[in-house]
Amino acid sequence: MTEVDEESGHVEARGVALAFGRREIFRDLDCRFAKGRISVLMGGSGTGKSTLLRMIGGLQIPDVGSLRVAGQELVGLEEAQLKAMRGRLGMLFQNGALLDSMSVFENVALPLREHTSLSETEIAERVHGRLSAVGLSDIDELLPGELSGGMLRRAALARAIVMEPEILLCDEPFSGLDPPNVSRIEALLTHLNRDRGLTVIITSHHMATSLRMAHRILLLRNMGCVDGSPAQLASSRDSAIREFLGQDGAEYLAHHGHELEGAEG
Amino acid sequence: MTRGLANLGAATLRQIEELGRMIRFGARIVMAASRPPFRWRAFMAAVYDSGVLSVALICAAGLTVGFVLGLQLYNTLVRFGAEDSLGTAVGLSLIRELGPVLTGLLVTGRAGSAITAEIGAMRTGQQLDGLRMMAIDPIHFVVMPRAMAIFFVLPLLSALFVSLGIFGAYLIGVELLGLDGGTFLASLEAAVEFDTDVLQSLVKSVVFGVLLALIATWRGYSCEPHSAGVSRATTSTVVTASIAILLADYLLTALWSL
Repeated sequence: MTEVDEESGHVEARGVALAFGRREIFRDLDCRFAKGRISVLMGGSGTGKSTLLRMIGGLQIPDVGSLRVAGQELVGLEEAQLKAMRGRLGMLFQNGALLDSMSVFENVALPLREHTSLSETEIAERVHGRLSAVGLSDIDELLPGELSGGMLRRAALARAIVMEPEILLCDEPFSGLDPPNVSRIEALLTHLNRDRGLTVIITSHHMATSLRMAHRILLLRNMGCVDGSPAQLASSRDSAIREFLGQDGAEYLAHHGHELEGAEG
Repeated sequence: MTRGLANLGAATLRQIEELGRMIRFGARIVMAASRPPFRWRAFMAAVYDSGVLSVALICAAGLTVGFVLGLQLYNTLVRFGAEDSLGTAVGLSLIRELGPVLTGLLVTGRAGSAITAEIGAMRTGQQLDGLRMMAIDPIHFVVMPRAMAIFFVLPLLSALFVSLGIFGAYLIGVELLGLDGGTFLASLEAAVEFDTDVLQSLVKSVVFGVLLALIATWRGYSCEPHSAGVSRATTSTVVTASIAILLADYLLTALWSL
């Protein structure tokens, strides 16, 4: 099990503002994602969850403010510097973003072929290991267009973790998955976090799973965010937060309320 | 009136900005081509898509244009008793102008639009962002092999068009209308100079290749990320590249005539 440093922000945003034309997404956003922890970004549609993930990946640069990823200030970096920084990240996109002209195997093997000098046998071994970890087998030759939505997302997750990144960004990893596969992906992400100290940042609407696996939840609203442990948010007096977490939040609190008391004590 | 002028000025500035971005994008393609590894597999696949799959179209168009030129020019020349110059007229018009220009326009419609649509669809499906997040430069991985393929195949296809065009005119002039084959070929050989005609044709097709490669890849790479955006970008490639090729043809012809 890897030691985690609660105080060390692996990703930190300070005073971040971003607007698309007249539409303001963030205004003076401050948030921190601890190293070696699982953080879940929540919020209604259009609150900027995916945009925040894209900003952490350097795909979207804030208009104002500072964004530090793994100790490096991202704002103002040249494309070549961003490329070097992205080598430490893995990202699962909402639609998978697999290259549609390449087979599943080729897609997952691509970063290994580009950035390592592994032999074809070693690459095949590692690709099959990752595909098997996400519950996929015998689909090497299939094209992304031949996969179901859930299979596509799992193949994309295999690609995101094949280079063993320090920080994993997952945009809605559970959406479109059946319950056994939700459990499988939850177990995989928890295992990667616990055993390898992977910092995981997830956006999700899957309330029960998020509450269960998250060390920290960040709720985006009003162009900013509120954050806390699942128990802290579930016991919040803010009616909007309680309403957002709904029945899952109440059930979580019923089972984990003692953690909150322990933390407060 | 003032508002109209302001709008015109703003639109002009936007176009200049767009041109600047496109030129910078072109420089990034050149830099990517000079940075190893050169992506031979992707390049050969793009040569197949843009070049080999265009061969049938180029052959059919070249032959047809040759038929028409042979017939029209023979009917005109015969009025002045100058039908022996058919080889000269056909050869010069095909080598200097029609070969490179029509090949450029045909490849724009067939391969240029396809490249824009493909890169645009990759942008819309976040595949280019996916590459960035794997620390892979999409210009090196996706754009450069396709741009280099267009640049490489256009002169070859142009040469094929010219050859088929001359052959088509020969068939009409000699086999159908009864002109002497030796006379046709002798007038062609006597009129066509390497330095002025063949080199001009080659330079034009290389320039058209550069223009088409740049416009087709840039339009796809910078399109709005939705299906209507891809559609608009594809149309824009065909229109912009066609106009650019015709304009460049005039400028190169004028420069060559100095």
